[in-house]
Amino acid sequence: MAGLELQHIEKTFGRTRVLHGVSFEVGDGEFIVLLGPSGCGKSTLLRIIAGLETQTRGSISIGGQCVDDVPPPDRDIAMVFQHYALYPHLTVRENLAFGLTMRREPKPVIEARIAETAALLEIHDLLDRKPKELSGGQQQRVAMGRAIVRKPKLFLFDEPLSNLDARLRASMRVELKKLHRRLGATMVYVTHDQTEAMTLGHTIVVMNRGRIQQIGRPEQIYHEPANPFVAGFIGNPPMNLFEGSFRLEQRELEFRVGDFTFRFPFQSRDLIGADSGTATLGVRPEDVTLEPQGSGHVAITGTIDLVENLGNDSIVHLMVKGQSLTVRTSPGLRLHAGESITTYVKNFHLFINEKRIPLPSP
Amino acid sequence: MTNRPALIGGILLAVLGSLCPFLWFVLTSFKSQLHVEAIPPTWWPDGSLVFYASALFEHRLLHYVRNSVMVAGGTTVIALAVATPAAYALARLQLPGKTWVLGGLLCVAMFPPIVIAGPIWQILERLGGLNTHWGLVLPYVSLTLPLAVWILTTFFHELPVELEEAARIDGCTTWQALHKIMLPLATPGLFTAAILTFIYAWNEFFFALLILTDPERQTLPVGIALFQGEFIMPWGEIAAASVVATLPLIVIVLLFQRGIINGLSAGAVKG
Repeated sequence: MAGLELQHIEKTFGRTRVLHGVSFEVGDGEFIVLLGPSGCGKSTLLRIIAGLETQTRGSISIGGQCVDDVPPPDRDIAMVFQHYALYPHLTVRENLAFGLTMRREPKPVIEARIAETAALLEIHDLLDRKPKELSGGQQQRVAMGRAIVRKPKLFLFDEPLSNLDARLRASMRVELKKLHRRLGATMVYVTHDQTEAMTLGHTIVVMNRGRIQQIGRPEQIYHEPANPFVAGFIGNPPMNLFEGSFRLEQRELEFRVGDFTFRFPFQSRDLIGADSGTATLGVRPEDVTLEPQGSGHVAITGTIDLVENLGNDSIVHLMVKGQSLTVRTSPGLRLHAGESITTYVKNFHLFINEKRIPLPSP
Repeated sequence: MTNRPALIGGILLAVLGSLCPFLWFVLTSFKSQLHVEAIPPTWWPDGSLVFYASALFEHRLLHYVRNSVMVAGGTTVIALAVATPAAYALARLQLPGKTWVLGGLLCVAMFPPIVIAGPIWQILERLGGLNTHWGLVLPYVSLTLPLAVWILTTFFHELPVELEEAARIDGCTTWQALHKIMLPLATPGLFTAAILTFIYAWNEFFFALLILTDPERQTLPVGIALFQGEFIMPWGEIAAASVVATLPLIVIVLLFQRGIINGLSAGAVKG
């Protein structure tokens, strides 16, 4: 049974269409992350799942039941909001109890659930405080608690960590992951932060401009991005993308950008459907090394433009015949702007017609 | 910072200027007849309570107070009961022509009373509302509604939508979300609207004079105005009555001030 199933969800606000037929399925107990830049429609999608917005077209089922005509209170979901949305006039205890009281749970059950949740999130000391007496991290915990205490079928998270500072965010991320393992509940998590997406999600749904770009496991999305958008969006520093032209020759694909020509052994012409055209070549900064390793690595020589030292590694920006290339290296190397160095690329990504073309190693 | 003394001076001047007439009335109310009419005028009262006794017992001041409490209280309760859902809808729902509704309300509030006095009188006569309290409450409600709706709309508008959505997901219907979450948070707005409505109804003179001709029904402002006889002007009694009429307002404002200032919505949403 699917925890959540979306079929061809479309949403139009006035004349603007923000979702163009989005479909996916979330398994029971799965943690799925909706990832994309702001304005890609991920939050709207989450709100549609919650029932706070109504889809223009398409259908949603939660736990195998169609909920298209079910108002939010009856969908058996819980949502953690970006700004926490704790009820400011109620104490933490009352905040936690609110949803249960509204559902007419007996008092002893409410007390027991609050105790259980408070223990799980370590917030017993805060139960009698008002939200404004809590720090950001504590408010965040209470907001999670308010969702957990209800034991809903489905958890929805709308960028819940984006208001925390970097350190707290990292620790909450770990806790969230543990929490999911403990509760085993189906969770849908919206974020624009790829680190959160990569670390939390079983499955990531990458969205852009109201369309799904790719659905896959985190490593799949990283290693086999479906199109240039996903390639450029996932990874930090972002993948180097070069717009150029390609030509198919005898068992070879030739890619040209500026003065560069790359040749790749290539068999299946059917994948592309044309003999020449425009293409995008991608190189991950971490796929470039300064030492030649193994055979078949492509050597590129360029001038160092800028070096960013990050402590555990350095980001080197190279200028290569008018093209810029970002490289991730170990920080031990003494590199200076203006120097000329040779780098070796061990892996390429090729996209033609916005589609990934699998390449054997060059 | 060099303007500070000037600023303080200006504030003092404004406060004293607006308090002066009132202070003079308070002083007058504690004088005896001799002092009121003394020339040159005496500043300090002799502490006589004669005027209070006379206003309370001869002029039946408490009777007017009771009428005013009923009219102003009724107006406030009804105006808020109508304005609250209206303002909530205007602040939250995607209604077509919302700005026109708000603009229209503002226009209505700007009609000079004399323009609508005739029609109101005629309507009330047909309805049998002349010389009744509800006959006065009815126009008061329609005259105070625009202000109440505007104040409350602003307040509801400033409350984060997320709170309401959280309440919906927690199991509330729209009405429950309004009642359990939004209203408690809009308390400062409710107090503000209530006080302004109450003050309007408490002080209103023109319609009260027009609609209530029966002394049994008349409200404080009309009652006090009618203290004056054909040949005498009982300044002392009028002053005493005015002080009594103002006291409840001061008490109410002081009581609710905390409610108004208390930023209940602080901490609702981080940032």
